[in-house]
Amino acid sequence: MPIVKTKNLSKVYNPETVPVHALRDVNISIEKGEFTSIVGPSGSGKTTLLNMIGGLDKPTSGTVEVNGVQITGMKDSKLIDFRLHNIGFVFQHYNLIPVFTARENVSFIMLLQGRDKKEMQQRADELLDQVGLGDRKDARPAQMSGGQQQRVAVARALASEPKFILADEPTANLDGASAMNLLDIMQRMNREQHVTFVFSTHDKRVIDRARRVITMVDGAVHSDEYQKAEEYDESKA
Amino acid sequence: MKTLITISWRNIWRHPARSSVLLVAIIVGLWAGVIAVGTMNGLMQQRMDYMIESEITHAQIHHPEFLAEGNSWMFIPEHDRIAAWLENDPRVVSYTSRTLTDGMLQSPVKTSGVRIRGLDIESESRTTTFHENMVEGEYLDTDMRNAVILGKRLAEEHNMEIGNRIVLTFEDINNELTSASFNIAGFYESASSDYDRRNVLIRSEDFLDILADRSIYHEIAIMLENEDKATAFVADLNSEFSGITAQTWRELSPELSMLVELGGIMVYFITMLIMIALAFGILNTMLMALFERMREISMLISIGMSRLRVFLMIMLESIVLTVTGAATGFVLAWLSLWHFTGAGINLEIFAGEEGFAEIGWDQFVYPIMSTGEYVAIISVVITITLLASLYPALKAIRIDPLEVEK
Repeated sequence: MPIVKTKNLSKVYNPETVPVHALRDVNISIEKGEFTSIVGPSGSGKTTLLNMIGGLDKPTSGTVEVNGVQITGMKDSKLIDFRLHNIGFVFQHYNLIPVFTARENVSFIMLLQGRDKKEMQQRADELLDQVGLGDRKDARPAQMSGGQQQRVAVARALASEPKFILADEPTANLDGASAMNLLDIMQRMNREQHVTFVFSTHDKRVIDRARRVITMVDGAVHSDEYQKAEEYDESKA
Repeated sequence: MKTLITISWRNIWRHPARSSVLLVAIIVGLWAGVIAVGTMNGLMQQRMDYMIESEITHAQIHHPEFLAEGNSWMFIPEHDRIAAWLENDPRVVSYTSRTLTDGMLQSPVKTSGVRIRGLDIESESRTTTFHENMVEGEYLDTDMRNAVILGKRLAEEHNMEIGNRIVLTFEDINNELTSASFNIAGFYESASSDYDRRNVLIRSEDFLDILADRSIYHEIAIMLENEDKATAFVADLNSEFSGITAQTWRELSPELSMLVELGGIMVYFITMLIMIALAFGILNTMLMALFERMREISMLISIGMSRLRVFLMIMLESIVLTVTGAATGFVLAWLSLWHFTGAGINLEIFAGEEGFAEIGWDQFVYPIMSTGEYVAIISVVITITLLASLYPALKAIRIDPLEVEK
């Protein structure tokens, strides 16, 4: 069963006045353990597609299924709860809670899930260790670099044990070294723990690392190809 | 909930200066509100106590027409039977009978209209504190023959000194004009300069010698165990005796009663003004905080924080901020009240000692706050806080993550 499946997914903004077709009959299927990039020029519909898959936006027509559950038409409150347990998010601007430490930022989503405090602490520490921030657990976002903040965001996305992680241009605000470091970490998690990642990006560094690249043009899937991804470099992680 | 409180507390201190300003506003507002309410209560209570204890007492008995007409023949019938009834009523602490009439005071300087008050010194001193108002000379317990006590201000108007003689002219109970000379034994100064200009005191036995051929009394002033019993007490008197009118202090002095009620209204008015200012302070701060954190709240909703939790988080921020400020404000206010209850607040700086005396007020005010008023103010603060937080909280739960990202 695919983790994500879209069926004839379309989105039209301003249908009554000046219709803008953001998505046109998009049919994609993403399996568990994939490392997928959704690419395309600005306005091609990649962010809209990501928002649809993440249950943040509603399609004009078509459906989205996540792990066999159709989320299209789901009530807002139910959808929020569904996201909490099934989808991890990494945002372009990191979006960490500035008044929380790295550990608290990672724990917070588990707290929303109602997990045991001890378990939360333990998992948060493990995840921060995995993203190379074992020594920055008590640092607040303002005390960390952009790359470190984005790594905390990845740890936070993983903390809820989601079915897959959606990352909207995760390297857009990072310098080269930080971007490569982040990609190394995500690629390692994908290989070792079979974490499914779906990115929207136009960063070549990300595209080169992806095993599958879906190219969007004018709201439609222009190409959907598997490629030999650049190898994960253990020394960089 | 613990984490929500933690996040709220930390959010409050994201902008220490802004939150501190609001906290100080809440603290000062609450402190000022409590002090203002306490001072107003104290002023009203002191005025009421003074008027009751020094002169009016809790209840009075008159001939039904005496207060309107003031004629000396309108005396209380069956005085002795009423006195015996009062002696046996456990609610009565003390009482005194007064002989009164309106007349003229003549001095070499001028003539003034006055009320002549014939007092029984012993029972008057047991019932009222008027003798404490003496500022010069002796009270009516002097050995001086035909002694009279004047208000200080009246004496000044007549250029009178202790030992001088004045003439009082009035109608006796047979409507005959009668005059008698009196020797000034002393001067009093009450809280009302108007009262001081219009009332002279003499011994009732001196008065009765020239007013009537027997003991007559126009007023019985009664102090009760407490003010709350006055209404039932006068009702009992009025049903027990015909030919008299018994009234509570509220009926005898409607202006005083109205003043006390007005004080209550002022208290609510002051409280509401402070609360409205507080509400706008909270609303402004919370809206600013919300607008700054749209992206963050949008992220929280995106990752799966329910809108109810977002709502609670925003509400808690206001509540935590207000509770902190209000608690500090109340503690400061309580300590201030505790201090001022003993030392009093000197209002001389506002109008000077003379100014307050002119309008019949003491310059020192001893604030009073009841537990009920503390509870009421706390309840109002909580309600106002909740209402002021509601709008930002409702705005927060309507955040659309997609709109914020755009």
